[in-house]
Amino acid sequence: MSDATPTPTATPERPQLPAQSPPVDPAETAVASEAATTSNRLSWWRGDSGEGARRNLGLIGVLVVLVIIGAVSRWDLYSNPDWVWDNTLTILKLASVVGVVTVGMTFVIIGGGIDLSVGAIVALSAVWATTVATQSYGAGGMIFTALVVGLSVGVVNGILISYGRLVPFIATLAMLVAARGLAAEISNKQTQLSNNTFINNIASEKVLGIPLLVYILAAVVAAGWVLLNRTTFGRRTVAVGGNPEAARLAGINVRRHTLLLYALSGLCCGIAAIMLTAQANSAQAATANLYELDAIAAAIIGGTLLSGGRGTIIGSLLGVIIFSTITNLFAINGLSSEAQNMVKGGIIVAAVLVQQVQFRSITQFLGRNRLTSS
Amino acid sequence: MNLRSPGAKPTVSEEETVAQPEENAAVAGASLVEAPADTVAGEVVLRLTDVVKTFPGVRALDGVQLEVRAGEVHCLLGQNGAGKSTLIKVLAGVHQPDSGLIEWRGEPTTFANPQAAMRAGIATIYQELDLVEDLSVGENAFLGHEPRRLGFVRRGQMVRRTRQILGRLGHGDIHPKRMVRALPAAGKQIVSMARALSHEARLIIMDEPSAVLAHDEVGNLFRIIRELTAQGIAVIYISHRLEEIREIGDRVTVLKDGRTTAANLPARDTPTRDLVSRMTGRSIEYVFPERPAAGPAGAELLQVEGLTRAGEFADVSLDVRAGEIVGIAGLVGSGRSELLETIYGARRADAGTVRMAGRALRAGVGAAVRAGMGMAPEERKSQALLLGEPIYRNVTLSTFSRYARFGFTNVAAEQAEANRIADDLELRPRDVRRPVRTLSGGNQQKVVVGRWLLGDTKLLLLDEPTRGVDIGARAELYQVIRGLAAQGVGVLLVSSEVPEVLGLADRVLVMREGRVVREAPAGELDENTVLDLVMAGSLMEGAPA
Amino acid sequence: MTQHSPDLSRRRMLFGGVAVGAGVLLAGCTSNESSPTTAQTKAAATGVNNEPGKKVVIGFSAPADDHGWIAAITNNAKAQAGAFSDVELKPVAAGADPAAQRAALSTLVSQKPDVIVVLPHDGKELNAFGLEAMTAGIPVVNLDRAFPDARAYRLQIKGDNYGMGVAAATYIIAQLKAKGVSNPIIGEIPGIDALELTQERSKGFNDTLAASGFKVANRRPAEFTVDSGQQAATGLFQALPKIDAIWNHDDDQGVGVMAAINQSGRKEFFMVGGAGSKKAMEDIQADNTVLKATVTYSPSMASSAISLARLIGQGKGMSDLVELQVPKEIVLASETITKENASSYLKLGF
Repeated sequence: MSDATPTPTATPERPQLPAQSPPVDPAETAVASEAATTSNRLSWWRGDSGEGARRNLGLIGVLVVLVIIGAVSRWDLYSNPDWVWDNTLTILKLASVVGVVTVGMTFVIIGGGIDLSVGAIVALSAVWATTVATQSYGAGGMIFTALVVGLSVGVVNGILISYGRLVPFIATLAMLVAARGLAAEISNKQTQLSNNTFINNIASEKVLGIPLLVYILAAVVAAGWVLLNRTTFGRRTVAVGGNPEAARLAGINVRRHTLLLYALSGLCCGIAAIMLTAQANSAQAATANLYELDAIAAAIIGGTLLSGGRGTIIGSLLGVIIFSTITNLFAINGLSSEAQNMVKGGIIVAAVLVQQVQFRSITQFLGRNRLTSS
Repeated sequence: MNLRSPGAKPTVSEEETVAQPEENAAVAGASLVEAPADTVAGEVVLRLTDVVKTFPGVRALDGVQLEVRAGEVHCLLGQNGAGKSTLIKVLAGVHQPDSGLIEWRGEPTTFANPQAAMRAGIATIYQELDLVEDLSVGENAFLGHEPRRLGFVRRGQMVRRTRQILGRLGHGDIHPKRMVRALPAAGKQIVSMARALSHEARLIIMDEPSAVLAHDEVGNLFRIIRELTAQGIAVIYISHRLEEIREIGDRVTVLKDGRTTAANLPARDTPTRDLVSRMTGRSIEYVFPERPAAGPAGAELLQVEGLTRAGEFADVSLDVRAGEIVGIAGLVGSGRSELLETIYGARRADAGTVRMAGRALRAGVGAAVRAGMGMAPEERKSQALLLGEPIYRNVTLSTFSRYARFGFTNVAAEQAEANRIADDLELRPRDVRRPVRTLSGGNQQKVVVGRWLLGDTKLLLLDEPTRGVDIGARAELYQVIRGLAAQGVGVLLVSSEVPEVLGLADRVLVMREGRVVREAPAGELDENTVLDLVMAGSLMEGAPA
Repeated sequence: MTQHSPDLSRRRMLFGGVAVGAGVLLAGCTSNESSPTTAQTKAAATGVNNEPGKKVVIGFSAPADDHGWIAAITNNAKAQAGAFSDVELKPVAAGADPAAQRAALSTLVSQKPDVIVVLPHDGKELNAFGLEAMTAGIPVVNLDRAFPDARAYRLQIKGDNYGMGVAAATYIIAQLKAKGVSNPIIGEIPGIDALELTQERSKGFNDTLAASGFKVANRRPAEFTVDSGQQAATGLFQALPKIDAIWNHDDDQGVGVMAAINQSGRKEFFMVGGAGSKKAMEDIQADNTVLKATVTYSPSMASSAISLARLIGQGKGMSDLVELQVPKEIVLASETITKENASSYLKLGF
């Protein structure tokens, strides 16, 4: 091997440019040896999950701060451990519906797209699942309907975007309007009560002291995490979002995968529709209002890059939980929702700013490493 | 798996040994060819000394020397990726150099931003003209420095001054109030120049101004350039077309791999072959692996017949056998990269067929990959790599599903395979979990090539595999490519570096203007013959060759 | 490649079958037949006004909100018009915002109806339209959301938002006093907080409570939708471990509030609703939930508006009044519906 490798320094007619183009970049060898010694110690920081893991620690820090603010402002409530436990479950329940939607949204955004129609899909699925005719099929029929409606709308989105070559923003914006319109048409603008006790009980049932909705959220998050981090589907998602041209030239079917991403988002909306129907014991066309913005905001503060190619499910989940914790914090202090919205907006901006600074410092760190070690 | 051909010994290819000594001296960069500045009398307005600009993984400028005098047309020559765009951006204040000296009218300077460069009197006319289509000619000319009083734009004065400037450019026929959108490309170019003059520019940089013009419009452009230089304005003129440089240029500086390989050559008298060889020739001695003694007699692998894409290439037929390296030589614009992408299914052919092992391929990259093709595209970063992702995921980008079971990725197996590839290719640094972003250009290219060493690639399409790759890594890449051929993989190689094609390929096709003009075993061609073929269209009448 | 094709096509067919089956099932699932909307029609039973008179063309416009109350307004108007043989109703879609409604109304004016009944998106923003129509000689009946300029309408008929708050507070105070609660914890779940009607309701509620020395402990606004009602109520329960009384402004979002109450298992308080939906009235009548009363803001005003528009068109007065013409302003009283009187109001529930 070594004798087959030419060493260009031995080439007789090498031009005399001492400073330029050394045969083997000393910076690289230096970095290589340094990496070899530190990779074990720093692999967690530097490995593929390092950046994401560190960002998630930051989000958990934000959560801790929010809880401390809550405890200081309402010590009368926080001093009761039972209340704290119950409140924690309430926050998670509050996060559950948007959380499920956000998992789908995270996939779409990592894959380089955006889905503005999620709120409308949730409303349409919920309305369709609670019509009198659907309810006559029982809980199974309602669940099946919600899932199929969500999935189908997602597939339509996917076809418009991947094969119809519409910009995701436009296609899903059109779907937002159309799906709400269809939902209003089906429901005749009325609130449709769910008379199915099985469905309604999903929201009140507890298993081992934890609400069923929280289990559903946990299951969807776990499935999403596995799908993103451990399957070929997730790998394709990152590739398609990170560099669609490279993915295409590597033989990945970018269009089909894009379609699947929107279908997945639609399916998540179908699941969320059942949860929302259970929570409200009813459905209406105006329900799930602005969920798309909640989901996008949660994904972004969770570290998902809006241009695609980077993001974590855990980060998105933390984003949703931070938002529902803020809502809870304002509720227990009796503060107005206007102030709450201002704080939410501030947190979105702050999170993105912090991430940009972090990202820049990481690249600078790596760059400096290369230069200084030569 | 040893990727290198068994028993391969490093040998210096034949062309190397006959290299002319004077050419070497010119190329070495330490002692640049200085032509007597007989044609230029103006003072030096701009001087660059040893300017270096690096981006993560790339040394875009690696010691550039440039001297521009008032009233001259100074031509900048170089292949794609030679560093011309970066150099322009450094002069325009978009990038700041890492080291080196820029002297502007005798004063050492750096431009913190484009506005600073503008104020100093350097105007840049980019290839994609940066005009606001829905503003008028006058508004574009004075964009950002409109004549104003108390915050109100003095429209009358703006129109009057625009008319004056257009008159200086010999284009009083363009009305200052016309919308830019309504102008033809040539007219828009005039507006860009008017903008430069509205800034009282002393140096105008033109990036391939003729690319957007029809043939007869180029004459008009040249007339304007001559009027500008007659007023003492210096022009840096960038073009791939040698005949234009002959006609309008005073002196020529040649860039290659971010370095000045020749400076201040007389534009009219320098032999074409000298210019081209300084652009495309070796700047260092290449070390090519030895060809196997017996010619390759593998089975038919790739057969291309009558392949055509309108405006890019026409009626191309070629074939590659197993274990054979076929090289395509040609300049930028000869249709070589487009041809490769069409064979790979990334572009749709207008006519013709592509067969792999006798079977016609369906459209699309997926079919090509399944048939055993792999491609390392021209633009590594934008077309081949996920820069933020770890090395191993880039290596397995087209094969990760093979290691997966029931859709679950097998990261351990992927890393093991990537490690094997990294060992074989001597990837540095070796940690395959590092992001590709942190690698040098050469090592990034190894990742792209390494991708196709996994799986059962039968035919490898390589587009400019050594662009931006340092010499050490180059030699290794050559070894890898030759080693692959020894194992029976067919290779179709595109390069604008003629010695590389001649040194590496078994058989060579020369492309010019979208057509194959010559096909021959590499042994029957020499560099000069190929250079003549490659640029026959750009040869100036009467130029000494 | 090719050997996979049969397999693929079979899979496709299978999927196609499932898709078609699902499609058929889902198409059937949009049916809502067993919940017909009942309209609150009441043709005047007595008097000369009931006799068919001059034919009156009434233009009608209400927002296209996805809300039960608004839907009831439109349904009531249509049903009431149908009850008169001499009334022709010309409904125009009001679109999603004031601008869209203004455009729709302009086309309506050009058709020269005899009277226009309009529930504007926003009274202030559409005031100019009222002036324009009145100037053109078309009487305007302004429904619920008031035009500020008195010249912009012939008749204004509206609910009493401030009075709703007063009624709700009055009921709550009476109940608490009867129970002997001295320092009660009162929660409030308003609708969209940015709307003027919400602010008026809350003001009436607070003013009345304050007169008795009570105050609202916490107020969590919802958005008139069921899911927002559920979330607002959940937040309220977290903030207040013990509650004596709640006023929920809107029975539509109240469906979600009731769901949240069931899910939390809280029942130490009683609740007063708002608007007067049929579901709320049924719950009050059954008396098996915490909902003990609701204060009306009835969409029946749309039925009345059509009746009065007809009279205006025919130049008649209200037969029970001495005046020869219909009055200029009518403000509906907000009534309190309890278990005792629910049965008589049930037909007005929407």
